[in-house]
This record gives sequence, structure tokens and C-alpha cells, in this order.
Amino acid sequence: MQLPSTARTAVCPYCAAPAIVERPRGAASVDPAFTMGFVFEAPRASELVRRWARAQGFFREPGVRLAKVEDLRGVYLPAYLYSAVARSRYSALIGEDYTETETYTTTDAQGKTETRTRTVTRTEHRPLQGEHAAYVADVLVTASRALGNAELEAVEPFDLRAIRRYDPSLVVGWIAEDPSMTAAECFELARREAVEKVGASLHGFMPGDSHRDLVHETWLEQESLDLVLVPVWVLALRYREDRGLLRVLVNGQTGRVAGAVPWSRLRIALAVAAALLAVAAVVAAVLLLEPA
Amino acid sequence: MATACGRCQGALDPEDLRCALCGLAVLEGELPARAPDAARAEIVRCVTCGAAMAYDARVQAPACAFCASVTRSERVDDPMEQASHALAFTVGPERAREVLRAWLSGRGIFAPADLATNATVDHLRPLWWPAWIFSALADVWWTADSDHGAHRSAWAPQNGRAAMRFEHLLVSASRGLSYEECARLAPGYDLQRAAPAEALLSATPPGGVVERFDVQRSAARRRILDALTSMAGAEVGARYVPGSRVRNVRVSLLLQSLTTRRFALPAYVLAYRYEGRLYRAVVHGQDERVVLGESPTSVWRVLGVVAAVLLAVVLIAWIVSLAGG
Repeated sequence: MQLPSTARTAVCPYCAAPAIVERPRGAASVDPAFTMGFVFEAPRASELVRRWARAQGFFREPGVRLAKVEDLRGVYLPAYLYSAVARSRYSALIGEDYTETETYTTTDAQGKTETRTRTVTRTEHRPLQGEHAAYVADVLVTASRALGNAELEAVEPFDLRAIRRYDPSLVVGWIAEDPSMTAAECFELARREAVEKVGASLHGFMPGDSHRDLVHETWLEQESLDLVLVPVWVLALRYREDRGLLRVLVNGQTGRVAGAVPWSRLRIALAVAAALLAVAAVVAAVLLLEPA
Repeated sequence: MATACGRCQGALDPEDLRCALCGLAVLEGELPARAPDAARAEIVRCVTCGAAMAYDARVQAPACAFCASVTRSERVDDPMEQASHALAFTVGPERAREVLRAWLSGRGIFAPADLATNATVDHLRPLWWPAWIFSALADVWWTADSDHGAHRSAWAPQNGRAAMRFEHLLVSASRGLSYEECARLAPGYDLQRAAPAEALLSATPPGGVVERFDVQRSAARRRILDALTSMAGAEVGARYVPGSRVRNVRVSLLLQSLTTRRFALPAYVLAYRYEGRLYRAVVHGQDERVVLGESPTSVWRVLGVVAAVLLAVVLIAWIVSLAGG
């Protein structure tokens, strides 16, 4: 039986028996540490996609709303779950507000200048340098070249409390992929995401009424990276005959749907034309009605 | 047996797959399974009828399409918490009734005069309420604003780092008792005399209730970490930030150690009736000085006090005007 090199499960073409593929352990084959199960079946996933398609805005490709939802496939997508201790050194300018009474001169209706006072809020910026440390848990990055990290992020988060120790019997009968990206590549992706997370939490960590020029340097220690299989419903939507397929993903656990629906150029052009026409009509009306 | 996480020292139980606090994976204890020599397909067979099985999303487990049998090979990964320790009642039910009567007679001048004599205790229920008691050692990084070193603005930014030890802190898991009630009951318990929960709670007195922990273990650990963070924030604001006025305290922490015990703590929940209405009260199970609850107020007494105050004000005004005249 011929199998694609990244398939982890297979179906026997003679008896339709679902099977698990085992390979000699090598650089490419790593057993997943954890998996999360699908919690709903294909009909529910199609319903979610249909509802999502109907909710698309006016300026999106109209074909999406009418596209047939078929050939939905449940895939266990390989991803890496990363966690670490993040230690950072930061510096920022902290803005502390204060109020001041200032005098100003103004000209009244009679043309006389007079002096008045008003209260204004000003900000005093003071430098602050320091350290910060925190746990960064639950960073999930894709391990599949077929599906980019941005696409996975669009259907995140997954409920990591429902995680289970990987067992072949949990994925048998479904499509399950082996990672097609190396652990080193995924490590880089995950580290970048972790540092971004730290940066975001540092913004919340700053005192004062406001802050600016926040820079930080972060070291990640005690890192761990574990391969997980995450449940995703994948669907290719044909919304126009002359265009490629649109890939739509459904989180197999939470039901969150995502797909990059293209803008409808025709509808945008028509709307712009209509707006221009309206402006032109108003201008014309004003010009015509203006007494010569 | 509980062990500690290699990264944050948080407690781990045998069922844990990942640390609930810092996310470190718990590796399987056994040696890795023997790798196959060559690629081969393996079929997972139903133990009942021998047919090939597939994972079924409806039952969230591998299921056989032919005989509908479901394999439940996985363990419960995130069990409900259960109390490991309990404290015994040292105040008896009869004493609790007496304590309530004494409390009712001392409700102040706004309470009806006949409250203690005419109130009837409707029911008295011994209750063990759930709480986590934890001790932790944490490394805390903080920032805040205070008036120390302030220039033009009244506030100046501050930051620092502190090592903090938290001993026997109590976080309530009760739904029946409010947060304030738990906070007032907590200091009265003698935690040194805790007994294993099973032995103590199996001999529940008649009508007694053991309130269950209604949270999953992983959620409980997160809640403890949240409680720890807010306590560290309060501690920073009170002791570490220089200056006399403090605002915007923010903390981030790493744990050096964390031990958690799950307790069942004794209290009596009483309902008493006065003039047809029911009122609720809680009597501490170990410290009879702690009684919490609501009590009726007498409208006549309130009106009487208001009238007396008004009369006094009028009287004083009259005397002042006389003296001035």
C-alpha cells in the first residue's frame, strides 16, 4: 500500500479498515506526546461553516455565501505546544499626569482682549528600568507546512484542559499528519510568539497613567516543546469558477470557523462609483440652485 | 502520591499530563515504546467483536461501528477535587443553638427587644465547606506608582523585586457561603489538628452536609495562582512600595515552592424564624465567638431613635438661641 510520507493514519482500500501507520523511528518521525479529540461530527461542522458563510459582509465575495459546503474532512493537525520561563529586562518612559492652571488671553465679541485661566492636564515622563519574570504557557504553533501558523491562530484557542496522552486509538479512522516542519523551525516560531506574549504582558505591567518607548530584552529558560495533534475540520470552498479554492478551517473542539474570504472588487468598485455619483449629484444641485 | 513540577515546583498528581501553572509537560514514566523496524499498518481491533475501530467524536473515544462498544482506555485526566483533610466540630449542636440565642440578644438597639425570646430556630445543619490551604514561596517582581520621589505630578513610578513566603493561606471553594463569610470564619480554625478527611467525614452527624469541591483540579490550581498573585499585590502595596500613597500595583511571580491541601472545614448553618420571616446565620464549628448572619430591625426602634435625635437637636438649638438672646 502506498502512503503519503506524512500520513499517520490510513484506510485499507480493500476492506476499508482504519489503520495506524508506524514507521521506523528517524529524524522525521516523532510520536506525538498529546492529542485532543474531536467533540462534534461533520454535519455540525458543515452547519457552522454555512452559518459563518452567511454572516460574511457585503463587500466580500458574494459567491462564498452561496458556495456548497461539501467534502469536509476531519484532520488531526500536528502542532507544537511550547512553554517556558521568560525573564525580561525592560525600560520605558512612564507618563504621570498632573494638572496645571494656566492663563491665556482671548478676544471677546466686542474685540477686547481679556485674560482668563483654565486647568490643563499635562504629563510628566519619567524613565523606569527593571526586571520582570513570568511563566509563558500554552503557546501553540503549527508543525505542518500545508497549513501556516496564521491560519492555525485564526481558529485558536484550543481548550488545553481536554488534552490527552497520545494513543493511536484516539486518531484511528481520521486523517492524521506527521509534522512536516522540523522541531528547530517550530522552536523558532514558538519563541517568537512567546516573546510577543511577554511584550504584550509588559504593556499591562507598566505603572503610570500612560507609557511610551517600552523596549524589552527577553531570555527564555527551561523551555519545553511537545508535539500535539489538534482536531481541525478542513474544507475547500469553491466560490467562483475562475478562482482557486478557499480553505476554511473549523476548530474541532470549540467550533470556531476561519477563512480568508477575499474582498469583492466589483462590489467595492460599484460602491465607490455610487458614492462619487452621489457627491457629484449634490455638487450639481448646489451649483444649479445657487442664484447666479 | 504528589510530586512537584520540575519548573515551577507546583504540585503534580499521577493523572496530570501538563503542569496546570506553567504548562511543563509531564513525560511518561516508562521507557519509550519500542520503535518498529519497518513501516507497517496496524489495525486497532474491537475487543468485543474483532472489527476495526475508529475514534468517534460523539463519544470522544474509539468506538466500534459494528457492535457499538466503546473503548475507555484513557483515564480521567482532570478529576474533581476532593478534600484530603478535615477538622472536627468542637462546638456541639446544642451549644450552637445557645450561641445563636446569645448573639440574637446582643444585636444592638435597632433589633426588636423580643428577638432573642421569640425567634425560633427552624433548622440547624452541620456543614463542612471546602477550601484550599496553601503555603508558597514566590519570587515577585512588581511595579507601582507612589508619592515617593514625586516631582510635578503627585505620582512617581516605582519597581522592585521581593521574595515572599505565604503560610497556611486559605482560598474558599464554597458556593454556599459567601466570600466575606469564609474570610471571617477562616481565622478561627485550628489547622494543626486536621485529620484525614475520609475517616472524619464518613461519621457525618445526622443532617450533616459535606459541600463538594465543584472545580476541576487544573482550574483549582489556576485559581490558587490567581489568589497568590492578588495576595502578593496586596503585600507589595502594604510593605514594599516606598512612600505613603500607592496606586497601580502590578505583580508578576515565579514560584519557588507550592504545597496545597484540600480541607473540609466545619460550621453550622442555621435558619431562624422571627414574625414569620426566615433569617440565616452561620456559627463557627470550632470557635463559638464567631457568629455571622442577618437579623431583623425594628421599625419602631429606628423611628424612636430618629425622633430622639431630632428632639435633642431642637433642644440644643433652643438653648443656643436662648443663650444668644
